[in-house]
Amino acid sequence: MRRREWLERLKIPLMLAPAFLVLIVLFSGGLVVGLGQSLGYMPVIGLNEFTLHHYADVLTNSNFLQSLWVTFYIAFTSTLLSTVIAIPCALVLRQAFKGSRFATFIFQVPIPIPHLVVAFGIVALVTQSGVMARVLASIGLLSEPGQFPVMVFDRAGVAIQMVYLWKEAPFIGLVVLAVLRSVGTEYEELAQTLGANRWQRFRYVLLPMIAPAILSTSIIVFAFVFASYEIPLLLGVRFPTTLPVWAFQLYQDPDLSLRPPAMAISVILTIISIMFLITYRRVARYAIK
Amino acid sequence: MKEFWRWVFIVLMTVAVMAPLLVQIVWSFAFRWHFPDLLPGEWGLNAWRYVFSDASRVGEALVNSMSIALVVSLLSIAVGLPAARALALDDFPGKGAIEWLLLIPILVPGVVTTMGIHIAFIRLRLADTYLGVVLIHLIPCIPYMILVMTSVFASYDTALEDTARTLGASAVRTFWHVTLPAIFPGLLVATLFTFLISWSQYVTTLLIGGGRIITLPMILFPFISGSNNATAAAISLIFVAPALLALVFTSHSLAKEPSILGGFGRM
Amino acid sequence: MTTVVLKNLCRRFGNVVAVNNLNLEIASGEMVAFLGPSGCGKTTTLRMIAGLLSPSAGDVIFDNRSMLDVPTEKRGAVMVFQKHLLFPNMTVGENIGFGLCMRGVKKQEINARVKEMLELVRLPGFENRRAHEISGGQQQRVALARGLIIRPAVLLLDEPLANLDANLRLEMRELIRSIQQEMRMTSIFVTHDQEEAVMLADRIALLFDGVLQQFDAPRAFYERPCSERVARFFRNENFLRGRKAGRCVVCETTRLTVADDGGRPDGEVLLTVRPEDVRIQDAGSENSVPARVQAIIYMGAYTQYLLDVEGRIWRALGPADAPHQAGDNVWLHLPPSRVWLLPASDRSSV
Repeated sequence: MRRREWLERLKIPLMLAPAFLVLIVLFSGGLVVGLGQSLGYMPVIGLNEFTLHHYADVLTNSNFLQSLWVTFYIAFTSTLLSTVIAIPCALVLRQAFKGSRFATFIFQVPIPIPHLVVAFGIVALVTQSGVMARVLASIGLLSEPGQFPVMVFDRAGVAIQMVYLWKEAPFIGLVVLAVLRSVGTEYEELAQTLGANRWQRFRYVLLPMIAPAILSTSIIVFAFVFASYEIPLLLGVRFPTTLPVWAFQLYQDPDLSLRPPAMAISVILTIISIMFLITYRRVARYAIK
Repeated sequence: MKEFWRWVFIVLMTVAVMAPLLVQIVWSFAFRWHFPDLLPGEWGLNAWRYVFSDASRVGEALVNSMSIALVVSLLSIAVGLPAARALALDDFPGKGAIEWLLLIPILVPGVVTTMGIHIAFIRLRLADTYLGVVLIHLIPCIPYMILVMTSVFASYDTALEDTARTLGASAVRTFWHVTLPAIFPGLLVATLFTFLISWSQYVTTLLIGGGRIITLPMILFPFISGSNNATAAAISLIFVAPALLALVFTSHSLAKEPSILGGFGRM
Repeated sequence: MTTVVLKNLCRRFGNVVAVNNLNLEIASGEMVAFLGPSGCGKTTTLRMIAGLLSPSAGDVIFDNRSMLDVPTEKRGAVMVFQKHLLFPNMTVGENIGFGLCMRGVKKQEINARVKEMLELVRLPGFENRRAHEISGGQQQRVALARGLIIRPAVLLLDEPLANLDANLRLEMRELIRSIQQEMRMTSIFVTHDQEEAVMLADRIALLFDGVLQQFDAPRAFYERPCSERVARFFRNENFLRGRKAGRCVVCETTRLTVADDGGRPDGEVLLTVRPEDVRIQDAGSENSVPARVQAIIYMGAYTQYLLDVEGRIWRALGPADAPHQAGDNVWLHLPPSRVWLLPASDRSSV
C-alpha cells in the first residue's frame, strides 16, 4: 500500500519531468550564458567582469533606435494588414455557400507552408522583373522592369510584409472563424428581431464577442514578427535592418568583442517579447471573463 | 448580387494564395524565362536534373532534414504527451507557473536562445553535431506539442479509462486500446505540424550545425536572393512537399481545433 | 395588438417537408401554443413568422399586410429563445434597452422604460448587474423584458421555459401569462409539453410532421380530439372498435350509447373514453364493458388500473385504496356524455 502511494505521488512529477528537463535545462542554460555575455562576461576573450556598458552602448547607439523603429514598423503594419484582411474573410467564410468548403480550404493553405518557400514565391512575383511586372507589361502599363516599383531589398520592406501578410492573415482568420462558429448566429438573430440592422448587429453584438480573440491573436502575430529574423535577413536591406537580424549579424562577426553587444540586443528583445506575452495573457484573461 | 461578390472574393483569394506557389512550379521547369514573357521562352528539366544530382547536396540535405524532423517529432511525443496529460487532467500546486515555464521557449525570440545555447553547446562539444541540432529543434517543438495535446486531453474523458480498468485492463493495455485511439486524430495533426516546425528551421540549424549539418532550408536560402530562379524553385518545391501533404491530411481538423494554429508562427 | 395569418405556409429542406401547407388565423391579443413532438415543424414555423427563415411557399400576414418582403428587423416580431442569449458584454439595463437603442430612442427615455420593465418582470433595481451574475430564472425574465419593451406586434417564444427547473417553470408560466394578458400582446409560443400549452394558451395548434392536426381551445383536445394520434398525444390510449348506427355503437362485447356522435357517419368507428372518465364497477350496467385487471399501480394520490378490454390495454383511475387486484374481472362504465367517436382507418392500431 505504501509503495502504491509513493508511485501515485511520483506520477505527476514523472510525467512532467522530461519536458521540464529538456526545456528548462537547454533553454535556461542558453539564456543564462547569453545573459552573462550581454553583461560582458566572456572569459574566452578575457572579459571576466560584469558590466552594463554594453547595454548603455546599444541603447544610445543611433542605429539601435533606427533598428527598433524598423522592427516595430514592420511588425505593426504586417499585423494590422493581416487583421484587416482576416476579419472580412472570416465573416464571409462563416456561412455555408456553394464553394465555401473550397474557399475555406484555400484559406488554410498558407498555414503549414514554410516561410522560406513563401519568400521565394513572393520574390518571383514582385521583383522588378517578376510576374506582376510582366503582367503589367503585357497589358501595356509598363515597358521595362525599371518602371516597376522596388519591393524587395527596399527600405519599406514591402516584400517582407507581403510574406507575413500571406502567412499570418489566414492564421488570424481561422482563429476568428473558429470563434464565430462557436458563437453561432443566435445572438445576431435575436438582435434582428429586436430591430437591429446589419451594421448594428456587427458593431454591437458580433464585434464585442470576437474582439478578444482578434486582439490576442494580433498580439501573438505582432510578437512573432517582431522577433523573427529569417525573412528580414533574406529580403530586407542591409541597413537599417531589424533588431533580431542586427543581433545575429553582430553575433556572426568574426570579431568576438561584438558578441556582448549582440547578446545585449537579444536580451532587450527578450524583455520586449515578454512584455508582449504579459499583455497577451491580460487580454486573454479578460476575454475569458 | 451577394453571390457575385462572393465569387469575386473566392477568385481573388485563390489567386492571392496560389500565385506564389504556382509561379514556383513554372519556374522549376523553365530553362529561359526573361522579362516580359508570361511563360518561359524555353522549358527544360535542367533545374530538376541539377537538384537530383550529387553536386547539389539536395539528397544529403533531404535525408538530414527528414531524419532530424522524425527524431524530433518522436522525442516531442515521448516527452510532451505525458506532460500534456498532467497539465490537462491533473491539478497540482504550481501548475500555473509550470504551464508558463513550459511555454516560454516559444514566446521568447529564437535568436536569443539559439545564440546563448550555441555558446553552451560549443563548450559541451555539441556544436556542429547532429545531436546538437536535434536538441535545438526540440526547443520550439516540445512546447508546441504540449500546447496542442493539452487542448486535446482537455476534451478527453478519463471515465473511458476508468471503465477499461474496472473491466480488467492493465495500464499499458488501457493506453493502447482506449487512450491512444481517442487522442489519435489530435495527436496525428500535432505530430505532423511538429514535424513541419523542425523541417522548417533555418537559423537554428545554421548556427548550431555550423554548416556541417546541411538541411534543405540551408540549401534553399542562398538561392532565393540569387539569380538562379529555376533551381531555387525546384528546391523550394521539394521543401514544401511535406507541408502540402500535411495540408491534405489535416485541413478538416484545423477549423475544429484552433489550438493547432498555436504554433504557426514558427514555420 | 396584431393579427397573424398563416396562409398555405410551406417550408422544405431539400427533400424533407418541414411545414406542410399550414393555414392558421391568430386573433389580436391571443396567446397561441404551437405544440407537437420534436421535429414537427413548430420551431420552423416560428422562425418563418419572425422572418429568420423564408417560406418555400405561402405567406405570413400581419394585420392584413404580407410580410414576405419585410425583413426581420422591420417586422416587429420579437423572439425569446430557450437560451436566454443575453448579450454578455452588456449590463441587464443595456440588454433590455437594446431594441430601443437601435431605434434611436433618447437615453433618458430608455432608462425610464427599462425601469418600468424591470418592475413588470419583478426584478427592480437590476439595471447594473451583468448576465452571468444573475440566476437562470432571472436571466429568462430579463430576456422577456428585452423583448417586451419595444412593444412588439407579435411576441414569439421558442420553448422559453425548457431550460428552467420545475419550480421556476411554474413561476415563469404565471408571469408570462399575466404579462401577456395585461399587455394584450399577440403571442405565439412553441412547446413540446402539453401541460404547459394547456395552461398558458388560449388556443393550441397541434402539429405532427409539419401538418396541422387541430387548432382549438385546450379543452377540445381532451374532450373532442380529432384523431387517434391526437388523443394519444394527450395521454389517452383507451380505444375500442365498433360499428355505429345512429347514436348506438356495437362493440365485440357490448353495446354503447353515445350522447354526441360528433357528426361521424355510420359504420366503422373508434371510440375513446379518457382514463379519468372511466368508472370501475364490480357489476355490469348500462353502457359498460367487461374488463380484466392486468395490473394495479399505486400512484400515491390515486391508483392507476391497467385493464384488458376486448384484447386492448385500457387505463383507468381509481381511489388510492383500490379494492381490486390483478386478475379480477370488473366492468367499466363509460358515461354516454364522455364517449367520443373517432374515424377508424386501416392504420388505426386497434
